[in-house]
Amino acid sequence: MRDAYVVGAGQSDFGAFPDESYRSLFRSAFEHTLDGTAVEPDDVDEAIVGTLGVGGRQLGLPGPAVTEHVGLHGIPTTRVENACAASGYAVRQGVQAIRSGMADLVLAGGVEVMTDVSSDAVRYWLGVSGETEWERLSGTTFAGVYAQMASAHMREYGTTVDQLSHVAVKNHANGAKNPHAQLGFECSLEDASSAPTVADPLTLYHCCPTTDGAACVLLASEDAVDRFTDARVRVAGVGAGSDRVGLAQRDTYSGVPASQRAAETAYDRADAGPDDLDFAEVHDCFAIAELMAYEDIGLCERGEAGPYIASGATRPDGETPVNTSGGLKSKGHPIGATGAGQVVEAFDQLTGAAGDRQLDAPEVGLTHNVGGSGGAAVVYLFEREHDWSDVADGEVVA
Amino acid sequence: MSDLAITAVGAYAPRLRIAADEFAEAWGRFEASGIERKAVPEADEDTLTMAAAAAKRALEAAGLDGEALAALSFATTTPPLAEEELVVRLGSMLGAPGTASHRQFTGSTRAGTRGLVAALDAEQTPALVVAADCPRADPPDEREHAGGAGGAAFLMEDGADGAVVTAQGEYVTPRPGERFRETGDTRVRGLGVTNYDRAAFRDALAGAAADAGIEDPDVSAAAVQAPDGKRPYRAAGPLGVDGERIKACATVHDLGDTGAASVPLSVARALADGHDSVLAAAYGSGAGAEVLRIEGRDHVATDLALDGAVDLSYAEYLRRRGDLGGEEPEGGGAYVSVPTWERSLPQRHRLVAGRCSECGALAFPPEGACTNCGSLVDYERVRLPGGGTVEAVTRIGRGGAPPEFATQQIRSGAFGVAIVAFDGPGGGSVSAPMQVTDHDPEADGELSVGDRVQVVVRRIYTQEGVTRYGGKVRPAGE
Repeated sequence: MRDAYVVGAGQSDFGAFPDESYRSLFRSAFEHTLDGTAVEPDDVDEAIVGTLGVGGRQLGLPGPAVTEHVGLHGIPTTRVENACAASGYAVRQGVQAIRSGMADLVLAGGVEVMTDVSSDAVRYWLGVSGETEWERLSGTTFAGVYAQMASAHMREYGTTVDQLSHVAVKNHANGAKNPHAQLGFECSLEDASSAPTVADPLTLYHCCPTTDGAACVLLASEDAVDRFTDARVRVAGVGAGSDRVGLAQRDTYSGVPASQRAAETAYDRADAGPDDLDFAEVHDCFAIAELMAYEDIGLCERGEAGPYIASGATRPDGETPVNTSGGLKSKGHPIGATGAGQVVEAFDQLTGAAGDRQLDAPEVGLTHNVGGSGGAAVVYLFEREHDWSDVADGEVVA
Repeated sequence: MSDLAITAVGAYAPRLRIAADEFAEAWGRFEASGIERKAVPEADEDTLTMAAAAAKRALEAAGLDGEALAALSFATTTPPLAEEELVVRLGSMLGAPGTASHRQFTGSTRAGTRGLVAALDAEQTPALVVAADCPRADPPDEREHAGGAGGAAFLMEDGADGAVVTAQGEYVTPRPGERFRETGDTRVRGLGVTNYDRAAFRDALAGAAADAGIEDPDVSAAAVQAPDGKRPYRAAGPLGVDGERIKACATVHDLGDTGAASVPLSVARALADGHDSVLAAAYGSGAGAEVLRIEGRDHVATDLALDGAVDLSYAEYLRRRGDLGGEEPEGGGAYVSVPTWERSLPQRHRLVAGRCSECGALAFPPEGACTNCGSLVDYERVRLPGGGTVEAVTRIGRGGAPPEFATQQIRSGAFGVAIVAFDGPGGGSVSAPMQVTDHDPEADGELSVGDRVQVVVRRIYTQEGVTRYGGKVRPAGE
């Protein structure tokens, strides 16, 4: 099977943009993705677009609706829906298309507009990816389901509210250095722990915002990559998994088995392990989600995530920096764009384009994207094959 | 007289209370004399859920399964729907067979005793006669100040030991305008012609007592219709009982006017308190009355839950009553159609789970591949007893709930949501997400992982005009 490489990756700003549409946001992401590559629109063989469709603005055929807008009409375009992992899975389908030989250059991305509907209406949509008949109608949206997971994690392992708050403090500090971030300000542990409760024990600072935004990734086959860029960011491993949609049906509430399966597969395919990671972008829709991710992808032992984050191990200067982009918490969480957005940060870090957030010559990065409360998950390992000196200035050109 | 005997009694009142003083503070005076406090339904309660709660207690007291019922009746002046037989959903909540007689009585505060008399006449047994009510009126109206809530249920069996009706009579006399509710209106009113009203009440009851042939009833308790805390005592003379007999089993002083459940609740209290002979004197405006003498309580099993637990301010009361608005917001998104909901009624109403034919594990709902062994099997249906243990829990404030619950939150504020490991019949457990009701952390303490809870049937949400009823959990041991 031939390898797939990331040729370019870009995102729109994440935030609330009353003057933008899902199409104009996608265009912004697409244009950033082309930056620094030799790709012309005619080179793209296929497109895969992830979106949930919040607000119902274009539930049918949203894929062609955005690709036609950026001049890619005519090529095969598919919409992928896996809730918050929609574009994480779009990228996976792109990798499949390339590895199978059906395409040499694939655009995979996602888009979501969430802030142009009333706060009541957005709550309808925030709950659509939970198990509808029983879980939703017990009165929960995702904040409630993740709060239940937090209650189980706290009960089993003694995790504390302050340990949850460390996620917010770290990710806001990172996001403050990301010009694309929605909430680019810093916060204190006190701010996070004493904020109003959304779903006990989660406070406002333990929850990501609702966001408008788009993100895209260009994937090329090993046969074609050199035509488009000097950078060589290889998709070293992909893993994915699913689980029962409703939390109550799962084997555990204090971890995400789909993430564990996805990570295991991705490490196996990449012939690597958690010790090989130089950084990770994980799905921190709620603070407890980041802590569970540490355990699910093997950064620390099960139950140790609370002390692990408190030790500073996942800060930019720690042993495995996590969410240098600001994560979903600070950068924002436009549902359908989030998984591809994580790949944007990984690509930027591996090509020296991460600006004030740039890590010191990383070689291997992981991204971890979860749909719903764990009904779907996808994990990637990306590996830098180019010399760091070629990209140290952040310029990657063909 | 019929051979039917009352063998078990159940009663239920919501745990919320408001004191007369709260009304006095809000309105300058309290208009419903003789009522010290009254019961207030929680935002997710109505006469159907209260009827179910009372009925389940009667069945449990008797040790009888709902599947054994041959007849079921439901009496209320305030059915949540003006048309559509809610007694059918009550039957579903109890597991009554589809071939059992299902009858609903409404339109009068004597509907509760009409249900009793109808059961005596029909002689289909076992019969469960249920009454629940929560009358409403305009906020300044004395009838609103009086309006309480509660329900009672009587299990009647043929030839069994229990309490029997030894005399019964009925009388009507046309007296329009004393208390009425116009078609389409939710609030009772009356013209307030004091002497005319009192005479209607007195004359109807006196006529029914005479029809029953009861001149001088030798009873230790008298359950008399109580639209307020004074009116029943005005019937003492015509009924041939003294005020002490009425007071002995009165529920109006602590529950308020419970409409069609007023006399049934007082009979229930009398039987539970050991009174061997009870006069039941029910009145409905129009006017009509029924008088029954009930004797022999030795073998009557009783299970009453009428205590209050939480006192409301007048503002909180208005919120619970829904007087402060609350509409389901627009927006779409997730949607459960009524036919889809209907398919889950055995689970919503009765916690019907499944047992895997391959590995014996429990499944809830009983569909799809077994979560234990993965086999795609048909499940043997088993009913969960209803007790469970909290495995994960949160509390959802305003802004955190799906919009289906917006109206409920406007009325009763934050609520808990738990994953509950329900006890299986004969061991094992199966987990399901459930909303928590009747729980206020400030009054009741936190609900935590490991705590025990018990299922109750409540209103879940209303969409397209159709209220979905189903299981919630409340802290056990209450």
